[in-house]
Amino acid sequence: MTRVALVGNGGIGTQDHQTAMYEPAFRRHPAFEIVDNPDDAEVWSIAAPLAERGKTIAEAIRSGRHVLADKPLAATVAEAQEIERLAAEHGVVVVPAHHQRLGGALRSAIAAVRGGRVGLPWNVQCDFLVAGGDPAPGGELVNFGLYPVDVLHALLGLEVRRVHATGSPALVTLLLDHDHGVTSTVVCGRLPVLRDVPPGGPAVHRYRISGSHGVLAVDATKPALSVRGTSFTGPVWTGPGTVDALLDVLAAGIATGRAAVGPSDAVRAQRVIEAAQRSMETGQPVETGE
Amino acid sequence: MDRTGIVLVGAGFIADAHCGAIDADPRAELVGIVDADPGRAAAFARKQGGIRYETDLDTALAWPGADAVILCTPNDTHAPIGLRVAAAGKHLLVEKPLATTLTDARALAEAFEATGRVLVAAHTHRFYDYGRAVKQTIDSGAIGRPQLVRLAILGGWIWPDWSAWVGDPVRSGGHALHNGVHLLDLATWWLGGEPTAIFARGRKQTAAELRIYDYLEMVVTYADGATAVCEMSRAHRPGSLAQRELLVAGTAGIVEQGWDGESALVFGEAGTATLPAAGGNGFAAQLGAWLDAIGGAPPAMPVADAVRAVALGVAVEESIATGRPVAVTA
Repeated sequence: MTRVALVGNGGIGTQDHQTAMYEPAFRRHPAFEIVDNPDDAEVWSIAAPLAERGKTIAEAIRSGRHVLADKPLAATVAEAQEIERLAAEHGVVVVPAHHQRLGGALRSAIAAVRGGRVGLPWNVQCDFLVAGGDPAPGGELVNFGLYPVDVLHALLGLEVRRVHATGSPALVTLLLDHDHGVTSTVVCGRLPVLRDVPPGGPAVHRYRISGSHGVLAVDATKPALSVRGTSFTGPVWTGPGTVDALLDVLAAGIATGRAAVGPSDAVRAQRVIEAAQRSMETGQPVETGE
Repeated sequence: MDRTGIVLVGAGFIADAHCGAIDADPRAELVGIVDADPGRAAAFARKQGGIRYETDLDTALAWPGADAVILCTPNDTHAPIGLRVAAAGKHLLVEKPLATTLTDARALAEAFEATGRVLVAAHTHRFYDYGRAVKQTIDSGAIGRPQLVRLAILGGWIWPDWSAWVGDPVRSGGHALHNGVHLLDLATWWLGGEPTAIFARGRKQTAAELRIYDYLEMVVTYADGATAVCEMSRAHRPGSLAQRELLVAGTAGIVEQGWDGESALVFGEAGTATLPAAGGNGFAAQLGAWLDAIGGAPPAMPVADAVRAVALGVAVEESIATGRPVAVTA
């Protein structure tokens, strides 16, 4: 079993994903055991406040430890690139928590699109809308934006060349231009509290991939049961959770030296998020420089 | 009961929908048909039980009992024909868009304002069951103040061949004016805000040689910070699987209707298709609202909103051409 230390209980605003997500997932995963002393661990699960996160991750890497990092991996593109460089230099695995792409419906969708099931994709529409929970200080773009941006790259395998963003801190719309004239649009943010949606839970998470030879509509809140009762109406997720799947990625990465989700994904997503921030400031489309 | 005598101008496919609406309303009477093609005009007249037909508009406007006109001609003719209708002192229900340029739209609005006759543009989606239900839900306060509209109307190629006037941007104004205005108007009506900017992207998906964009993505920003993301497509394949999806998010909730919210799904040997539910007749509701307005009621589709829809459509085409956001001035 790989020994894991839980490092940090912060995030953006009031977030404590360490307690809410990573600790329980590590406890139930057969490949890992949690230890109290970070010096005894081979993996650090890092959920430090964003302002300190990059420094903590760098410390772990320099000490030869693998890392599971809360999202976003770093506060800036430059910081994420430095983590990527350090991880390569020290030969450790760093897995940022881009776990949404690992949901069962999306994994199948990614395989289908990359396999040509809809022909050549030319547009993707996505909604990533959470209901309730604590708003992220500074807006939800930094908090949530990387999830759908990461999924888009997994679906299309195409870089984002230009970003136009509009909306509000709570609810932002991203219009992305990819290679080959492919376009995508993401609406992401936080809705008010909705009945029967747990605080901070997904209210709408879906993708429509339009291709030259078909359309794939993906409800990423599935696979799920639909339960209706006297005190509860709503979906009940079936199958492994996305954080469990993320730990599978981490375990496989440690075993093979190469993880399916890595710092380059964080760099790529952060570049889009920063371009979106500049677009929101200027009201104009912004080249990502990628 | 005094019935409003209506002259149809343009005997294309949409004229049938208007005829059905006239047939369904006891306050209306179809007086005759005008079409530049005498054979098509005569055939249409025969199909309607032998009503009058004519190729000359002015002659038709002078027919006894002609009180009003429903105009179903190509979009670039709306303004010149509409101005003749105004000059003849008749009411006008004109197919959308009101005009293909903002200047023409304003000229029509001013002409009808001067005559005191009722001008309505056929933004029929306001009168479809779903359009009205969403508006009523928002107005009820059930979702608080609306902040986001997601509206997609997706389908495959429905137009004729390369000769189709819709495919000529000079005649149709482009797809943003031809169909995009439906969504731009509906989203704006639902939100109740003032559009300030548009960023749009277009795609020629069916054929690179198209002169209009068969897929449109139109993002409208409003003065109160709300956003509308509108997709209009005649580019999706398979064309048999028409989809309409909507989501409106407010400060206190959301209202949504997925592609299956109004349609059943047919799995057949011939493929897969959506089967829209039977429901209200949007064209009849639209006609009824126009007749109400002729009778003195407030218009359900004010002229200013139709002018604004043209401004939005024009801004969409400009944004696609420049690749930049465009400020909206209605």
